[in-house]
Amino acid sequence: MKTHKIEQLIIATVGFFWCFLMWFSTAAFSPSIAAHYHLSIKALGLLASSAIWMAPVGRILAGWAADRFGAPRTFAVILAVCGLVSIASAFTENYTLLFTERVIVAIAGVSFVVGIQHVAQWFNANEIGTAEGLYAGTGNVGAGMGALVLPRLFGTDYHAAFLWLGIIALFVAAWYLLRGRAAKSNELRDTARARSDLRSTVFVWSRYIAVALMLAYAMSFGLEIAMNAWLPGYFTHGFHDAILALGFKNVAGLQIAAGTFAAVESFCASLFRPFAGFMSDLFQRKGWTPLPFIAKSLPYAPRLHWLAIALILITFAMGGLTFAGLTGSLHLSVITLVALGIFISFGTGGTFALVPLLFPDRPGAAAGFIGGVSTVGGIVYPLIFAAGPNIHMGYLYVALYIFVPIILFYFWAARYERHPEEHGIFTSALAIDKA
Amino acid sequence: MHMPTQSITQEAYEPWYKYGVAFLTIEMVIAIAVSAYSLFMTFHGLGGFPGKH
Repeated sequence: MKTHKIEQLIIATVGFFWCFLMWFSTAAFSPSIAAHYHLSIKALGLLASSAIWMAPVGRILAGWAADRFGAPRTFAVILAVCGLVSIASAFTENYTLLFTERVIVAIAGVSFVVGIQHVAQWFNANEIGTAEGLYAGTGNVGAGMGALVLPRLFGTDYHAAFLWLGIIALFVAAWYLLRGRAAKSNELRDTARARSDLRSTVFVWSRYIAVALMLAYAMSFGLEIAMNAWLPGYFTHGFHDAILALGFKNVAGLQIAAGTFAAVESFCASLFRPFAGFMSDLFQRKGWTPLPFIAKSLPYAPRLHWLAIALILITFAMGGLTFAGLTGSLHLSVITLVALGIFISFGTGGTFALVPLLFPDRPGAAAGFIGGVSTVGGIVYPLIFAAGPNIHMGYLYVALYIFVPIILFYFWAARYERHPEEHGIFTSALAIDKA
Repeated sequence: MHMPTQSITQEAYEPWYKYGVAFLTIEMVIAIAVSAYSLFMTFHGLGGFPGKH
């Protein structure tokens, strides 16, 4: 079968977009579900949080499966299973069963690492940043589209929405299986398959640079999903009077304003991600390595520098959010938030412009580890944000006590001028030649 | 053992790349436009993306 890498990129992007649409479709209809089943606030929170439960472990397994069985088969199985369960959930009238089914549908979120692996198997090193950015950034929009379009298209009829989402997922699965090809060459495909064993997985997990990239992704994507959950409540409580002063008079109005600020951050984080990948390519092409300590002669050294810049910008923006909050300026806070969203995209795009280059023989295992474990940040950060006596101080605490150490570790792990992926624990036992 | 080249190579982009850059530029313009519209509406007490008017 004749194909082109752009066709493979489009298939992966559409598959990922649809998976993200399904991933967040439960949240889009949570008010309708809550009203139908008379759910308490506690039960509603449980339903909302369930979307992320499967991500950490699921992404690790999905990355391994992509290396082992190829991205098209793995992605098609995810789409088909999630689609079928989504269809089943459309006919469910028991809440416990519905909750279980929607947790299974949320497995769709693990597809991210499968597409990353797929794109990595098709694109050249000099264009990988833009390619991965286009895949991940465009696909990520599916989450926002779920919140924006689904309630307007289906109203409160979540049964119909779940049904159609599932049916179309089955068509996308069939398309992926028919037209998707795992890699541009059999050699690449065979290498990934041969390295999909436990030894290889332990190798990736024990590399300092892989841990640094995982933490970098926790600082960016982990923060993005944490902010999605945290920001509406933050603005409602932290800027209650300022929002009322804008003309929003009741709880619904507060929710609209706070939700808009949160959505803008999320929107920028998604849609600037391809640009971040492009910037990584640009750094690479120009050979820019402006930062001290980080390697300068590695074939992908400029990309390491671009990611470091992104991490520093994220940290400053977090401090800026605290400063803006303490001044009480809603406008300054929102502007800082938009900047944070863009910087987060620099971090997410910058990370996955590097992963396939650092672990070219194990793209799925590396993407699974870095894209999976990092999602724990989505659970941890809101807990810290909410823990302090002042609602604005949490950003600064996270920046100082989590992000600064992560950046220092990143600089340390990225300092090797030759093969940083060979440095880690168990190095001699897991030498690449033996893997 | 995988041995990446230890030098930064300058490779020419393939034809698809310019369309990719055009697409990501459109995405950025959409992000800026939607953000600006939404924030304008919200700061004038009129709601906005993804809220109701």
